[in-house]
This record gives sequence, C-alpha cells and structure tokens, in this order.
Amino acid sequence: MIEIPLALFLTSVIGAILAGFSCSTMGVFVVRMNLSSIGFCMSHAAFAGAAFGLMVSIDPMIGAIIFSFATAFVLGPLSEKARLESNVVIGFLFSFMIALAFIFLNLIPGQAASAKALRILWGSILSVTTDDVLLLFLLSALIIIFIVLFYKELLSVMFHRKLAESSGINTKFFYFTILFFTGIAVSFSLRIVGGLLVYALIINPTSTAYQFFYDFKKIMILSPVVGIIGCIVGYYLSLMSDFPIGASIVIVSALFFAVAIVVSPKRRKKNGKK
Amino acid sequence: MKNIIELKGIETIYEGERIPVIKNIDFSVKQNEFVSIIGPNGSGKTTLLETINGLLEYTSGKGFVFGKEIKKNKNKIRRNIGYVIQNFELDPRAPFLCKDIVMSGRTGKIGTFRFTSKKDWEIVWESMSLVGMIDFANRPIGKLSGGEFQKILIARALAQQPNLLLLDEPFSNLDFSSRRQIEILLNRIHEKEKITIVMVSHDLSFVPAGCNRIVVLDKGQIIMDDKKEKILKSEIIDSIFKNKGETN
Repeated sequence: MIEIPLALFLTSVIGAILAGFSCSTMGVFVVRMNLSSIGFCMSHAAFAGAAFGLMVSIDPMIGAIIFSFATAFVLGPLSEKARLESNVVIGFLFSFMIALAFIFLNLIPGQAASAKALRILWGSILSVTTDDVLLLFLLSALIIIFIVLFYKELLSVMFHRKLAESSGINTKFFYFTILFFTGIAVSFSLRIVGGLLVYALIINPTSTAYQFFYDFKKIMILSPVVGIIGCIVGYYLSLMSDFPIGASIVIVSALFFAVAIVVSPKRRKKNGKK
Repeated sequence: MKNIIELKGIETIYEGERIPVIKNIDFSVKQNEFVSIIGPNGSGKTTLLETINGLLEYTSGKGFVFGKEIKKNKNKIRRNIGYVIQNFELDPRAPFLCKDIVMSGRTGKIGTFRFTSKKDWEIVWESMSLVGMIDFANRPIGKLSGGEFQKILIARALAQQPNLLLLDEPFSNLDFSSRRQIEILLNRIHEKEKITIVMVSHDLSFVPAGCNRIVVLDKGQIIMDDKKEKILKSEIIDSIFKNKGETN
C-alpha cells in the first residue's frame, strides 16, 4: 500500500468525494438529456486551455478552467441560436477544441510542454490542492441549492421541455444552467480523474441508479451516493494496488453498474424469477 | 359574456420561412365555450393553438388571452392555460411517476422559489381522480398504455386549475375504446369544471358531444365557424377532407 502524508490524504479524499458528488449529480440530468458526450467536450476544452496556458506561460490548470468555463457558458446559447441538438453542438465544440489544442501545442517549443498539457487528460489525485477542494466544495453547495430550490421546475423540464414551457416555466434558464454546472463539474474534477475518465464519473453512477428506480427523486439521491462510494472505493483500490486513481474509480463504478444490471428489480418478473 | 381568446388578423410565420402557416385569423372564444378546430393535416391547427399560448410568436395582428396581450404576457397567460400536446412519444424508460408528472402541471402556477404544499397535492389527487387515474399515482409513466397516458396528460393540465384548456389532437393514436373514454372525460370536465376548452382534431367523427362550436381551418385560414350541427351537415367539409385523403 502507498503511504502518503495525512494532509495530502485528506485533501485528495475530500476532493475525490466532492468530484464524485458533483459529477454524478449532474449526470442524472446529462443522461436524461442524452448529452453524455459533454464529458469529452469539456475535457478537450480543458486540454486546449492547458495548452494555451503553456503557450502564454501561465499555469495550465488556470488555462484549462478558463476554457472549460467558456465552453460551458456558450454550449447552451449556441445550440439554441444554431437551432441544433445540443449533442451536435457538443460535437462541434469537441472537434474545435482539439483543433485549438493542436495549434497551441504546435506553438509551444519542446516535447516536455506538450506532456504537461496532456497530463490534464490523465489527472492525478496527488496534485490536488486545497484550492481545488474549495472550488469543488463551493460548486457542490451551489448544485445542492440549485436542485433544492428548483426541483419542481427541473423535473418538469426533464420530463418534456415544451410542456414545461407551456405551463409558464422559463425552460431556457434551467437548460443553460444544467449545461453550465455540468461543464464546471467536469472541469473542476479534471485534476482528480483526468479528462478522459471524468466521463465515467458522470455516466456510471447515474446509469447504476437508473437500474433500480423509475422515480426521478430516488435516482437524484442514489446517483451521487453511488458516485461518492465509487470514488472512495476507487481511491482505496488505487492506494492498495498502485493503479492510477482515475482508472481505479472508473473500474469500481463500472463494477457497480455491472452488479446493478444483474440485481436490478426492473428486470425481475412478477413471480420473482429473473 | 367576456372573451377568453381574442385574435385579430393573426399571421404566424416560422423562423427562417416566408410563407405564413396561419393567416388572417380572426377568432374569439367566450368563457365556458367548447370549441373544436378541425381541418386536414397541415392546415395550421397546432400552429394556431401554439400561437394562442405563446409558444409560437405571431408575426402580425393582435392576440389577447384573458384580456392580456399574448406577446407581452406569455408566462403569466400560460400559468392559466392547460395544454395537452400532440403525438407525445414517451420513452418507456422515462424515470417519472404519474403523480409527479401531474404535479409538474402546477409548477408554473406555484411559482419560483416556492415548494409544493399539501394543498397542491390535494389538487393533484383531485385531478387524477377526475380522469379516473388515482390508482396509477405511483406507476412509472412509461408503463402506461396510450389511453392511460393521455388521461395523465389531461390530469396534468387540469392540476394547473386552468381557465382555458388547449387540447392538440387528444384522440390521435388511441384505439376506439380509449377515444370514447377521453371523449366522455372531456364532456364531463366541461360540464363539471366549467373550463373553456379549445380542441384541435383532424377527425370529424370524434367531435365530443359537449362541443357546441366548430371552426374549420384549411390552408392556414378559417373557412367556416359555426354551430356544430351546421358544420357537420355542410358539404364543404366533405370536399375538404376528401381532397386531402382523410376519410374520417
């Protein structure tokens, strides 16, 4: 087992729990809205931002957060303006960000800098700082307040956007805010699980919760619980086996999903047989 | 009796298009009327309904609902309009219970920053009872049949305690017995709840008994507007529907 200092251990564990919470909570909306590719899009926006940061000699993480913020901010309005499905706009932004990243990397002299930018795609729990944890904590608190205050509106929008609009709800605001919070949750979690694996942190816990309930409220509660447990168990697995933290979390959450499929009450027949 | 809906010279053009879907619409509905708007597919019926509740913005003319101009008061107006959407394709895995969907109809009415109260739930149970779906409260919405689902959508609209009910093809995709049930239900709602109903249909054979007026729409224009009995006897109706290949 790897031994790490207590302060670093606490920072990284709390960071993993908060990342698990924020990503898997927003995952409930993402899965319902069929926008799972938002994870790819945001991680590559962060990658382009990190490359940009290196190019202009600032902290690549700051560049990553700025680019993720900007992408999260324009995603909703852009799909609305272009009158296209959000998934199409996500695809557009994803390829645009990769193109930008390549151009930025091309402008940075030396291989080492490119490797630094690529690190954002893999993540490392041991590089998590107190500031990262504070940001994740703030985001988690905002997500909780947002959901508690607007649960009835969110449920209505998730069921059918046009019907929600017809009963007097400003659906655009809620749609954009969901996309924005998801983008931010992804970008803040990058340092922990990495851009490529953060996708699993959004999808796996929600997919697991979906196996058990038809009730949106119960899924909203179970998904972050699964996300948090997945992160804690994944973290422990990583310490025990020296596997990369992101990969460990994903393996654990994938296992949860597999077990959920097998034991899912949704597949049980009335006589109790599966 | 005051007008609930008042449209004068309304024309609606979809964004990016030039030809209006509905044009020269002069249409008014009095309180407690039950009006059926009929016309072949593509005649602009849904566009007219969505212009009334402000989901589509009219490009010329003036429109008022409850005496308020639609364009300026969209959200306010919608809180008092129950809307049942057409051809709703529901995902059978949708993670929602019937009671929550019915409650979602009240969301606009309850208002922002307010939580659902005991009274709101009582209204939800009442609406579900009225449509005969109270036993389905905890059922997943995706597990309902077409007729059951349509009743839940009507209960959702009723939970809003609307002054006006807009129904877009409430009988589409339903078998004969479900159609009959919905028809009886609409008549009961109109009589018991005294709600003004505007219903759109391409199906002449299912104009509910409680409906007292029919408006015929063709190629985006109102071509007839009269009492139900008169319209149903009219020869023009036959020609319009037969020309479009509709044999209902």
